[in-house]
Amino acid sequence: MELICLGHFVLSHNPEVWILGELMLNCSWGGVGGDSIHRIHPALECHSLVVSLSSFLLRFNYRSTHHLTSNGFYEFLNWFDERAWYPLGRIVGGTVYPGLMVTAGLIHYVLNLLHMTVHIRDVCVFLAPIFSGLTAISTFLLTRELWNQGAGLLAACFIAIVPGYISRSVAGSFDNEGIAIFALQFTYYLWVKSVKTGSVFWTIGCCLSYFYMVSAWGGYVFIINLIPLHVFVLLLMQRYSRRVYIAYSTFYIVGLVLSMQIPFVGFQPIRTSEHMAAAGVFALLQAYAFLQYLKDRLTKQEFQTLFFLGVSLAAGVVFLTVIYLTYTGKFSLSLMRYLCPPPRYAKIHIPIIASVSEHQPTTWVSFFFDLHILVCTFPAGLWFCIKNINDERVFVALYAISAVYFAGVMVRLMLTLTPVVCMLSAIAFSSVFEHYLGDDQKKDKEGLGPNIKSIVTMLMLMLLMMFAVHCTWVTSNAYSSPSVVLASYNHDGSRNILDDFREAYYWLRQNTDEHARVMSWWDYGYQIAGMANRTTLVDNNTWNNSHIALVGKAMSSNESAAYQIMQSLDVDYVLIIFGGVIGYSGDDINKFLWMVRIAEGEHPKDIRESDYFTPQGEFRVDKAGSPTLLNCLMYKMSYYRFGEMQLDFRTPPGFDRTRNAEIGNKDIKFKHLEEAFTSEHWLVRIYKVKNEGSSRTSSFLRKARS
Amino acid sequence: ARRLMRKCSDRGAKMNDASVQTLLDILSGVGEKNVTNSLLCTKTLLMEKVGQMMDWASKRSVIRMNGEKFRRFVKAPPRNYSVVVMFTALQPQRQCGVCKQADEEYQILANSWRYSSAFTNKIFFASVDFDEGSDIFHMLNMNSAPTFMHFPSKGKPKRADTYELQVRGFAAEQISRWIADRTDINVRVIRPPNYAGPLMLGFLLAVVGSLVYLRRNNLEFLYNKNAWAFAALCFVLIMTSGQMWNHIRGPPYAHKNPNTGQVSYIHGSSQAQFVAETHIVLLFNSAVTFGMVLLHEAATSDMDIGKRKIMCIAGIGLVVLFFSWLLSIFRAKYHGYPYSFLMN
Repeated sequence: MELICLGHFVLSHNPEVWILGELMLNCSWGGVGGDSIHRIHPALECHSLVVSLSSFLLRFNYRSTHHLTSNGFYEFLNWFDERAWYPLGRIVGGTVYPGLMVTAGLIHYVLNLLHMTVHIRDVCVFLAPIFSGLTAISTFLLTRELWNQGAGLLAACFIAIVPGYISRSVAGSFDNEGIAIFALQFTYYLWVKSVKTGSVFWTIGCCLSYFYMVSAWGGYVFIINLIPLHVFVLLLMQRYSRRVYIAYSTFYIVGLVLSMQIPFVGFQPIRTSEHMAAAGVFALLQAYAFLQYLKDRLTKQEFQTLFFLGVSLAAGVVFLTVIYLTYTGKFSLSLMRYLCPPPRYAKIHIPIIASVSEHQPTTWVSFFFDLHILVCTFPAGLWFCIKNINDERVFVALYAISAVYFAGVMVRLMLTLTPVVCMLSAIAFSSVFEHYLGDDQKKDKEGLGPNIKSIVTMLMLMLLMMFAVHCTWVTSNAYSSPSVVLASYNHDGSRNILDDFREAYYWLRQNTDEHARVMSWWDYGYQIAGMANRTTLVDNNTWNNSHIALVGKAMSSNESAAYQIMQSLDVDYVLIIFGGVIGYSGDDINKFLWMVRIAEGEHPKDIRESDYFTPQGEFRVDKAGSPTLLNCLMYKMSYYRFGEMQLDFRTPPGFDRTRNAEIGNKDIKFKHLEEAFTSEHWLVRIYKVKNEGSSRTSSFLRKARS
Repeated sequence: ARRLMRKCSDRGAKMNDASVQTLLDILSGVGEKNVTNSLLCTKTLLMEKVGQMMDWASKRSVIRMNGEKFRRFVKAPPRNYSVVVMFTALQPQRQCGVCKQADEEYQILANSWRYSSAFTNKIFFASVDFDEGSDIFHMLNMNSAPTFMHFPSKGKPKRADTYELQVRGFAAEQISRWIADRTDINVRVIRPPNYAGPLMLGFLLAVVGSLVYLRRNNLEFLYNKNAWAFAALCFVLIMTSGQMWNHIRGPPYAHKNPNTGQVSYIHGSSQAQFVAETHIVLLFNSAVTFGMVLLHEAATSDMDIGKRKIMCIAGIGLVVLFFSWLLSIFRAKYHGYPYSFLMN
């Protein structure tokens, strides 16, 4: 525990804003551990904390936490959010993992009880760094159980700074994964502990930690499959013991009951095929234990007959049940969905999954970028573990192999790989340092000599230093800029802050009717709801594909067709992101083909992807572009009045910097829309839908009434 | 009957002129007999053609056509059926790899239609090989294969009746969507289950099982930690070098610059990779791992001191050299990365 010291920081970055936060810093092992200060980098850099909740998803989490703290837990569970998915609305309480909100709410409650008046926002901002500190502690504990204390310390240092984990735990990244990795590591620690001791006390602790994990993140499925796999492999290796029996039986029953308490999970643990492995291993373990018991009481001949009968009977029963259940559709054998690479599955079935960049497979560059030297050294740790195998090292080997498979399939799951890579790398480095640091203990064996030893130590330390430098660089460059505020760099290295998003959301909040409905692509749904406090049609919780497709259709149709759709959805404002002025590549025109694809999936008669390409199959916005593209709503809204704008002297007016092309349709006029707002750098453009019918009531409501 | 048919088909071939003629005849009110004769003839000819097509389709789901058949059954009216034609070059001497793949997909599509419950004579699938009907290729001004074209039951093919292979690819599902778009006929693509995978697995299991059975008296090798550790390491190294990405995306092995003839094994961007590159990375990663293991062995093994010293030097050399090499490759791909070690 000497590893962690608690610091109390009062940061006064801006005269108006006083930030009071409790930060955990790893300040062990030279300067390396101290790099976790980078987690609060974004919070320090942005001028006020209001913006430092970074990625798009988080706005929703913050909003629901706010709802939880102001209305209480039961009200939160019953919350029906009518501001999202207009006109459908969304049941929030039953469709989220509440762990994150409850944790933040609890911390807020305790602090207020102690008369430390902290705003819930500040709790949310600093939750992820606090939990990454806890992750470091639990990684230390787990590695200590697996190897020794030295390896544990190294592992804690690695996980404190490794970019693969920092990406999810910077201050302000208020999302499920931030706390879930702590829960994951802690559950594994308690599981290893309970397998080692065979005590119900540790197992119950493991179940509680598992319960916390289930409440926090859908990734709990990883635990409920890995632990049974561990038990199964132990049985195969004939390492069955009473400790394993006690640990797993308790864990399965208590964990099952606890996990079903989460409304969003409900009866899934006894219904879906992801959880069936756990049940199967539970039954197998009971049968195995029973046979062990009988073996002591019966003669060899009797036992063999019984064994044969029992096994064939059990196999038959299991086989028939599975066939019956699959046939009647009680549960689907959807396990293939998890094993076969998701992008390939999704490419055919659901374009919306394929459109999210996190669902792509992982290149070696991302592995190296996120793990640096650890990615080359952790196989050595795995080697040492398997060479000196025992019950808990079986676990870590299985953890590594399964996590590396999933990380290869999906970039997003790099997060579950990172902790085990840190642990195994720490084991590898620690077993090298063990022999090369310090004097020879054994007198009977000739040592390698101080020269070689010091050279090896020096070079190893240099590699680790490079790792620390790499982590610092990655954190400050790639992971610490909140996407709500963009930064651009001038030639002399000075920095411009582009605050267009906040400007636009603030405008919406101040200048539009309280009940105005804003249509945008789903990426911005949570932001609009959270920062502008206006009703949205679709958002980042992409549960209703056809609704998203309808919005996509409106964006990709021509103005009059789009107007019909917008009228039927009661849209008052349309918000788009346009990066052509500053060269921002994540704007709506670049995402546009996904809108078309998703719309085409639902409305193949009206929208055809090929219409948006040139005959040569290119996607161009200049004069050569297809006429359908040049006249669709998204194009018109993006480039309205842009044709008059000359950005610099070398380029013609209407030159799009993102796509490096002069736009093809400069004469854009609207019939049913009017420009309402364009932010300073044109990053956000908002249009008002003209209200033509004098007494327009919602056509949806009208339909509903009749 | 055969003579009549030939007569009809002669008429049919001249139909373009003849239909103008008939129209004029009707307008002027003369040649009524001729008109009825011609209509009757058209009807029998049509039935004859449909019957023939159905006959072929029942034999093979994709009807192979040569120049003459194509002209008679696809090009010439009367028709009340649509025909989707794949123009291809499947002869081995043409060396058209894409044609083979496209042909497989097309067969899947045609079979799904042939054996579906919705099978009608509204649409037929046909193919024309370049070596059997090169005159058709000339006639349609076609200079690339494979090409898919739809010949609607009425009128001439429009621009959209030529399938955009470059844009949409030749997956059977895509072609089926295009057909649904052009003809309102939905072909549900049913891929025959791939037996190759399970068969290979079964074969592998059988081999492993028989090996185990043969060596049933000494099963120590199952307890060989080195073998298990080696297998685990192989799997981990394969995954971390991005082979899964290759498997899903199917990148080329390396890129050859057509102008200079230079072969580049490393992709210039950090978003993509070549197969060769991942093999290099796999090798480097395993070299670093091996170096670490050597370092550990050098310190713990019972060999004589000279050998251990060599092992130790080799170990640290492997780690440092290959790691810095890896770093330099990473640096070349990840533009703007500032750090390097030993080499640029």
